[in-house]
Amino acid sequence: MLINTVLMFLRELLPLCLLLATLLVWHRSVWRSFAMYFALPSVLMLSLISLKIVWISEQLDGLGLELLYSFLYLICFVLLCVAALKSKYELWSSAFAAACLFSISGSNLLLYIWLPTQGDNTPADLVLGSALGIGIGASITVLWYYLLTELKQWRSQSFALLLSVSGARQVMMASALLIQSDWLPAGPQLWQTGQLLPEQSELGFFLQALMGYEATPSLSQLLLYLLCFGLLFWCCSFMENKR
Amino acid sequence: MRSLRRYLVTVLIALFTLISFVAALQSYKQSASRAEALFDQDLQILASSLSQQYQAGSQQELGLALQVWQKDELVYRSALAPETSMSEIEGFSEHNFAGKRWRVFRQTPTDVLTVIVAQPLTQRQQLADEVITASIYPVVLSLPLQALLIWLVVSKALSPIKRFSAQLSSKKANDLSPVELDQVPAELDQMLKTTNQLFARLADAFEREKRFASDVAHELRTPLSVLQVNLHNASQQWQQSGIGDPEGSMLALQAGVERMSALIEQIMLLNRSNPEHFQARTEQLDLAGLCRQVVADWYPHIEKKQQQIELLGLEHLSLKGDAFALRLLVSNLIGNASKYTQANGSIQLELSIAQDKAVLVVQDNGPGIAPEEYNRVFDRFYRVGGDRHQSGTLGSGLGLAIVRDIVVLHQGQIHLGTPDFSSGLKVTVELPL
Repeated sequence: MLINTVLMFLRELLPLCLLLATLLVWHRSVWRSFAMYFALPSVLMLSLISLKIVWISEQLDGLGLELLYSFLYLICFVLLCVAALKSKYELWSSAFAAACLFSISGSNLLLYIWLPTQGDNTPADLVLGSALGIGIGASITVLWYYLLTELKQWRSQSFALLLSVSGARQVMMASALLIQSDWLPAGPQLWQTGQLLPEQSELGFFLQALMGYEATPSLSQLLLYLLCFGLLFWCCSFMENKR
Repeated sequence: MRSLRRYLVTVLIALFTLISFVAALQSYKQSASRAEALFDQDLQILASSLSQQYQAGSQQELGLALQVWQKDELVYRSALAPETSMSEIEGFSEHNFAGKRWRVFRQTPTDVLTVIVAQPLTQRQQLADEVITASIYPVVLSLPLQALLIWLVVSKALSPIKRFSAQLSSKKANDLSPVELDQVPAELDQMLKTTNQLFARLADAFEREKRFASDVAHELRTPLSVLQVNLHNASQQWQQSGIGDPEGSMLALQAGVERMSALIEQIMLLNRSNPEHFQARTEQLDLAGLCRQVVADWYPHIEKKQQQIELLGLEHLSLKGDAFALRLLVSNLIGNASKYTQANGSIQLELSIAQDKAVLVVQDNGPGIAPEEYNRVFDRFYRVGGDRHQSGTLGSGLGLAIVRDIVVLHQGQIHLGTPDFSSGLKVTVELPL
């Protein structure tokens, strides 16, 4: 169905678009170098994962893909911290962080497009759905880029805040996958906001892409999120003060 | 933003794409939801129609009319179906019965069996309308949002031009400092550079002009003073030697030097009072007190000509202005009145307040000025009747030009007119309080 294709594209593209727009604001003056540093590892990692996806999925009792994705999410966060702390490596490490997210989104989308079980989708559905999804994602990237540019000029702390939220979001996604794979204890569920703001709603999608919104977070997820958010925010403030 | 064009194009395209695509998705979801409801309704109708077959005498109102014919015998009809055949045409057709217009479908699968199904046209149109309306609503509702966002984006894009314009309009007449803007877009950059270059050139030109006039006047003043002293000494020596001045050459020379001195003084004062150069130091002052001081300064000259001078009106008039400039203004007006009024003439000063403005009226009963000359007398170096002024009084033609400059500097107005006397000139100066 058309709507499923659109939602799939949005779910995969929105987090990447928001992170890319945020990093482009950061590396505005050297965006060409950033694009190059981002494109090369992205293509390489996506090709590797796509070619070996079956083998990866079969590893670690069938949890290979989930664990690889969690690893890439965590690497993405670590690289953002490195970029914030070490100005010498900020360009390539932030580009590589975005490339990690791209390889996750890209491989998921390739799986969705080529998986033979997608019998519901006609080619027209796929083309129109992907056009709608890419169009919305690209529009949000442009608008987010200009909004963030304004925010950064208005108050530089707001940029650090949004970058930290974006970094903590990757850890949230990793933790969800690790809990799903039983590699991380879930702990008690803290609240349930599914009725108030469903994860599948438009706003739910956006918030999940931006800050890793979970309708039913567990204690371990919340603690991890707050810790990572605080760490990245401290790194950004440290970088700002150093400059 | 680096470029207005790039910003407007990218943001507007992004906005249109986002809103259109989201509206299209909403339309899709709404239409799909309505279509789902319609299909469910059709299922309900079909179920009810079929269930009637097994409930004899049921007259439940249904959306569909159904007839089943076996050869020429009606073996089944639903509550809304008539007893006669609803259509004799195979396939789709439209007919009237039961007070409505119906869309009818007749099918004869075998030679003996005929099934005719009919649905009211109004119901079909209503259902179609529901689906179409559901798909149009998001598009229509997104229009005000698009309009609002376009307004915001265009306002944002034009904000550097607005800031540029605000800086230019807030500049004072003598402020030729460069305009400074943060993050100038490419389209505005050249305009800003050219404007600032123009300001810089203008400032240089004004500075040169100011310095030139001032330097020339200053340089001329010293030799003229020496010339005056020497002339005075020479004149005395001639008198002591009994040479005298039979042809009046010495007197003419003294008058010429005196006039040149006065002219240089006026040029220096004009230079100082020019609104383009003058840095006004506004303060609260008493115009009436200032007028009294100027009258006192001129009094020896007035007394020498046996003229009458009166100061009427308010005894105190407080206003904001530059003391030096206003003193020069009053002095030039009284000086002009005294110089051009005959001996035993009258000069009158009157101070009042009208419409939140201080009004100073200086009038005399001298020869006055023809009304057609009123505008020209404010021109620099213009003298009524040229150098051969009928009064024979020495003058530079700069006094009223200086007065007008001072009035402009204080954002006031000046008018010339006929006085309350039988002849003469009336000068009215209005200054904001």
